[in-house]
Amino acid sequence: MTRAASWAVLLLGLTYFILPLVGMVEFSLSMRRGEYSFDAYAAVLADPQFRETFSYSVVMALLTIVFGILLVVPTAFWVRLKLPRLRPLVEFVTLLPLVIPAIVTVFGYIRLYNTSSWLPLTGTIFGTNLLLMFGYAMLSLPYMYRAVDTGLRTIDVATLTEAAQSLGAGWVTIITRLILPNVLVAVLSGSFVTFAIVMGEFTMAALLNRPAFGPYLQLMGANKAYEPFALATIAFIITWACMGLIQLVTRFTKHDKAGR
Amino acid sequence: MSFLTISHLEKSFGVTRVVKNFNLDVEKGEFISLLGPSGCGKTTVLRMVAGFETPSAGNITIEGREVSSLRPNQRNIGMVFQAYALFPNLTVAQNVGFGLRVKGVPAREIAARVEEMLALIGLPELGDRYPFQLSGGQQQRVALARALAPKPQVLLLDEPLSALDAKVRVSLRNEIRAIQRELGITTIFVTHDQEEALSMSDRIVVMHQGVAEQVGTPFEIYNTPATRFVAGFVGTLNTLDAKVLDPSIGRVKLGGNEMTLGRAIPPGEALLGLRPEMLRLGAHPGEAALTGTITELDFLGSVIRLRIDLGGQPLAVDLFNTTRQAPPKVGETVSLALNPSDALVIGG
Repeated sequence: MTRAASWAVLLLGLTYFILPLVGMVEFSLSMRRGEYSFDAYAAVLADPQFRETFSYSVVMALLTIVFGILLVVPTAFWVRLKLPRLRPLVEFVTLLPLVIPAIVTVFGYIRLYNTSSWLPLTGTIFGTNLLLMFGYAMLSLPYMYRAVDTGLRTIDVATLTEAAQSLGAGWVTIITRLILPNVLVAVLSGSFVTFAIVMGEFTMAALLNRPAFGPYLQLMGANKAYEPFALATIAFIITWACMGLIQLVTRFTKHDKAGR
Repeated sequence: MSFLTISHLEKSFGVTRVVKNFNLDVEKGEFISLLGPSGCGKTTVLRMVAGFETPSAGNITIEGREVSSLRPNQRNIGMVFQAYALFPNLTVAQNVGFGLRVKGVPAREIAARVEEMLALIGLPELGDRYPFQLSGGQQQRVALARALAPKPQVLLLDEPLSALDAKVRVSLRNEIRAIQRELGITTIFVTHDQEEALSMSDRIVVMHQGVAEQVGTPFEIYNTPATRFVAGFVGTLNTLDAKVLDPSIGRVKLGGNEMTLGRAIPPGEALLGLRPEMLRLGAHPGEAALTGTITELDFLGSVIRLRIDLGGQPLAVDLFNTTRQAPPKVGETVSLALNPSDALVIGG
C-alpha cells in the first residue's frame, strides 16, 4: 500500500468517527436560531435534576470502583498465584455479564432481594443503592478483571510474593503495598471503564427506581431536542478526560518499566 | 546441637518423590551449598526451609525451634532469588527497608539500617533509584541487602548468580562470600555451578534424584567423591574400568597397562577415577606409568587438553600451557605418570 493510500484510509477512518461527533456538538450548540450558543448546556447545567442525578451516579461510580478493586484485585492475584488451573473458569464467569442482559439480572435481583425475601435489600433506599452498586460492579466485571489480570501478567507475581513473605509481609501488606501499586495503571484503566459504564447505565437504575444519570439522559432524550446532545457531549468529555487521565498516570508512573 | 537441622525431609508432588530422606546439620555461620543438576531437588529443599513448600515428612529446626509448620513470614529467613525479585514500585532504599517497615521498626532506625546495608553492598549513592535503573549485578546486590536488612537467622540464596554474565558472576560471588563472612550469617546457597559451590562453600551437599549423595568440604567432594555420580558431576573425571589383579596391594590392569595403587581394594572389577590434572606426560620415578595414543588435542588457553586412547578406553589429560615445551602431536604414543594415591576407586 502506498503512502497516499495509507493516508486516505486513515482520513476515511477519522472521518467515519469524527463526523458524527462534529454533528452532535454542532447540533448541541444550535439551540439559538441562526447562531451558535451554549444555551443547551446552560439549560442542562441549570437543571437541578441534572445535578442530582449526575452527582448520584458519580458517587455510585466511585463506590463501584472501590468495591470492584476490593473484589477483583485479590481474586485475580489469588487465581494467578494459587489457582492457575481455575483461570479459564474464572475468566468465563467474569465474561457472563456480557452475555446475560442487564434486564435479566435486575429482575433476578428484584426477585431474590424483594421485601418478602430473606434479604430484603429493596426494602430500603440504602439496600437498593447497595444492590445497584453490586449490579454495576457485575456489569463492569469483564473489563475490570481483564484489565487487572493483564496488569498482573506484566509482573512476576509469584516471586514478588515470595520475596515479600520472606521479609515478613502478610497477605494484606503484599496486596496493598506491592501488588496494587504495580498494577495501578491497569486498575485505573478498569476504573475509568467502570466509571463510564456506571455514568451511562440505564436498565438497572431505571428498574430499581434510583435517580441515576442514565435514566435522566433517557428522560431528556424523550422530551427535549438540544439538551440531550449537550448531555451526550458532556458525557463524551468525561470519557475522554478519563482516557487522558489514564495516559497521564501511565506516563508519570516512575516504576513503569520495572520488574518486567 | 546444630544451628539449623533438617531431618528426614521428604517432598512428593503427586506420586513423584522429589526429595528423599534428606538430612543436614548446619552450624551457625556456615556457608552450605546445595549442588546438583536441574531437577535434583535442591531448590525444593531450599523452598521447604523458606516455607514456600510444605514437607511431606520430616522436620526443620532453627536454633532448636521447629519451623516446619510456620508460614514463610513467621520464619525470620532472608532469601535472594535468581530473578532478583526487587519490588518495582519501590526505590532501592525502600526495597532494602521493606522488611524492617513490615516489622514496624521506627523510620529513623530503618534509615540508618538501609544506609548501613547500602554501604555494605557498595552502592551507598543509589538509594533513590528504582530497580529498573540498575544493572543486573546491582539489582542482585540490592536484593542481598534487602534480605539481610531485617537480620534474618538464615540466609537462603536460590541460584542468585545464574542470571548474571560471567564476569559479574565471579565478582559478585566473592562479594557475597565476603559479606557472609563479615556478618557471620548461616547461609544455604543453591547452585548447579560446581565452580561457584567449590569456591564459596564451607561444605557442599551434592544432590542427585532427591538424595544427598555426599556432604563434605569442597576439598573432600572434589578429591574423594563418595559415589560415581559425585565423581562425575564435580569437576572432570576419567572413569576407567580396571581388572583387579591383586586386591591386597591394589594391583590393577587397565587398558593394557598395569599399575599398583599401594592400598587394598575390593577384588574383581574396579572403577578407577583419574582427574585430568593429576596425570603428567613422561615417566617419573616412584609413580605409576601408563601408555596411550593421543587422539585429540584441544588448546584451551592456559591448559591443553589431550584425549588419549588407553587400550580402548578414553582418557583426558590436562597439561599447563608453557612456551618452554612444545605440545605433543595427535597420533603420538606417550607415557603418562600418575601418583597412585591420586587414583580414586569409586563406589556407588
